[in-house]
Formats: sequence, structure tokens, C-alpha cells
Amino acid sequence: MSETTTSLMSLAEAHQLVKYLENGQVIEANAAIDAAALRSAPEIFTEVGKLTRQLHDSLNNFQLDARITGLVEEDIPDAESRLEYVIEETEKAANTTMDALEKSMPITEEINTRIAEILPEWDKLMSREIVVGEFKALCLELDKLLKDTSQETQQLNSLMTEVLMAQGYQDLTGQVIRRVITLVKEVQDNLVHMLTVFGEPVVDKKAEPENKIKAEGPVIDAEQRDDVVNGQDDVDDLLSSLGF
Amino acid sequence: MDTNMKILVVDDFSTMRRIIKNLLKDLGFSNIQEADDGNTALPMLNQGDFDFVVTDWNMPGMQGIDLLRAIRADDKLKHLPVLMVTAEAKKEQIVAAAQAGVNGYVVKPFTAATLKEKLDKIFQRLG
Repeated sequence: MSETTTSLMSLAEAHQLVKYLENGQVIEANAAIDAAALRSAPEIFTEVGKLTRQLHDSLNNFQLDARITGLVEEDIPDAESRLEYVIEETEKAANTTMDALEKSMPITEEINTRIAEILPEWDKLMSREIVVGEFKALCLELDKLLKDTSQETQQLNSLMTEVLMAQGYQDLTGQVIRRVITLVKEVQDNLVHMLTVFGEPVVDKKAEPENKIKAEGPVIDAEQRDDVVNGQDDVDDLLSSLGF
Repeated sequence: MDTNMKILVVDDFSTMRRIIKNLLKDLGFSNIQEADDGNTALPMLNQGDFDFVVTDWNMPGMQGIDLLRAIRADDKLKHLPVLMVTAEAKKEQIVAAAQAGVNGYVVKPFTAATLKEKLDKIFQRLG
């Protein structure tokens, strides 16, 4: 027992209490116990008061945390439409790529077939077995093949560029997914915060002021907004209106 | 258009760098280097005699707009033409880029023809 601890009941009072009990003076005994208990009451009241205040503040802060309302009302629905955008973009890219492939394959097949047709005559020429009439026909066929192929390879080239450009989806969707990951992380942090909020006082985090232009990533609802451009033509118009 | 010019392509997504590089190659440029954000790009620009910069806006580390401002603030680099190729489509952003001295602004997704047109325009103006 620590020397500084003071007993709630003195030895004399305790003797008195025992006496009351021995004599069957229940009322007097109870009064003596209550009197002793009251001496520690103020401390308990203060403690309970403190806890109540903390709990009240925590609950208040938690409800008032604007970030949580923002998360629920704006950011999570926003994440949903962002993910929809990812699906749309990947679908578009897949279709563009497959369209271009479907247009390319008949072209290469056609070139292949025509070369296969000419090849026997060509082999004859190379082994010097060709006769004059056949040679003339071969020259005409080759002339046509070369000219057609030249056109067709240009066509193939532009189809390949289409495929190349379609791969831009990876960048656009990647940016969007990164944002959603950030949001998921924030939701997670808030859930952890919610679990700890009753244990310790909450520090009220204010949203940081937007003092500079923030990068926003691909705009997924350009039609419904008037603060963004809708395509390159709008960019060009805006820039030329600035005298660019 | 001098196809020997040295070009720096700055984008955090390697796929987009590849696309832009391929398009530039298709236009005849072959001297192309890459950086994944402004912090990587600036030292490269300071060391190597680049003639042209194509940059994204939204990148971790140093963003494209800050790279542009850093280029314009540097006596050795400020003459460099900068083309921004970005998904950032807010009007205030385009205005900010113009004010910071961008030479062209292409918004993603873009076509090969758009990129070529903007490049032609920039080189025309530079003479």
C-alpha cells in the first residue's frame, strides 16, 4: 500500500461501523458507509464527465467531417461512372483494333493469293523456260500486282495506325483507375478512422484549399459540363479565341 | 520540317510514349527520347540539345504544366517549342497552358492526323 493513498474511512469510523452492525443499527451503519463513499464521488463524476465530453465531441466531429459526406455523396458515385468509362474505353479500343484487323486480313490474303497465282509463271521466267507470249502476259500481271499492292500496303499502313492509336486507352483508363484506387484508399482510411474514433479525440481534418489548378485526368462526362472542352475542335476554338 | 531534330516525349504511361514515338517515326522523326515526368525530363533537357518537347500534363512527380513553366523560366531552354498532349480538358487548364507559353495543345484521345497538323503548325510558325 502506498503511503500517499488516504483511506476513505478512518480506523475509528470503521470501529464505529462494526459497532453499529453488532447492535443491529442498520440505518446508522448504512449512513456511515454512504458518508465514506461520497468522499470519492467527485473524482468519479469528473471522470465520467470527461468521458462523456470526449464521446460527444468524437461523435460530433465524426458527423461533421465534411470529407465523409463528400465521399458518400460525390466521390463514390463518381468512381462508379469512372469505372463505367473504363469499360466503355476498353470496349471501344478492342472493337477498333478488331475492326482494323478484320479489314487488314482480307487485304493480306488477297496479296498472298495473287502472288501465288503469278508465281508459277515467275518461276518459269527465272529458269528461262518462258516463251514470248507468256512473258508479255506476265509483265502485264506483274505491273498490275505491283500497283495494286502499293495501294493496298498504304491501306494496311493506315489500318495499323488505327490499331496503334486505339492503344491510347491504356493511358486514359490507367489514369482513371489510379484515381479510383486513391478513393478506395481514402474510404479505407476513413473506415479505420471510424473504428478508432471512439478511443481517442478526433482531429478535425479540413479539406485542403484548392489554390492551384489540379490535374483531373480524362473527363468522363464532357457533354454534361461546361467547364471542359469536348474534343480537339473545342481546344482549337478556345486557343484561337485567345489569339493563339 | 527538320526530321533530324531531337525530340523528348514526356508521359508517365509507357504505352502513350510508344504511341507518340511511333507516330513521330511515321512522320519521319527518328531522334526521339523519353522521360516519365517533369523531374526526369528537366535534367535531360538541360544536358542534351533537344529541339522539341511533347509532354503530358497529369504525371506523378513534376506535372507537365510545371515542366512547361520551368522550361520558359530557364534562359537556356525557354526557346524550346512545347506541345502538350493530355487528357486534361478543363478550359481553365488550356488557358493556363497558353499563358504559360505552350506552342500547341492536343487533347486525348487524339488522332494521328491531329498530331501531325499541330506539329506542322508549330514548325511553320517557327519557320
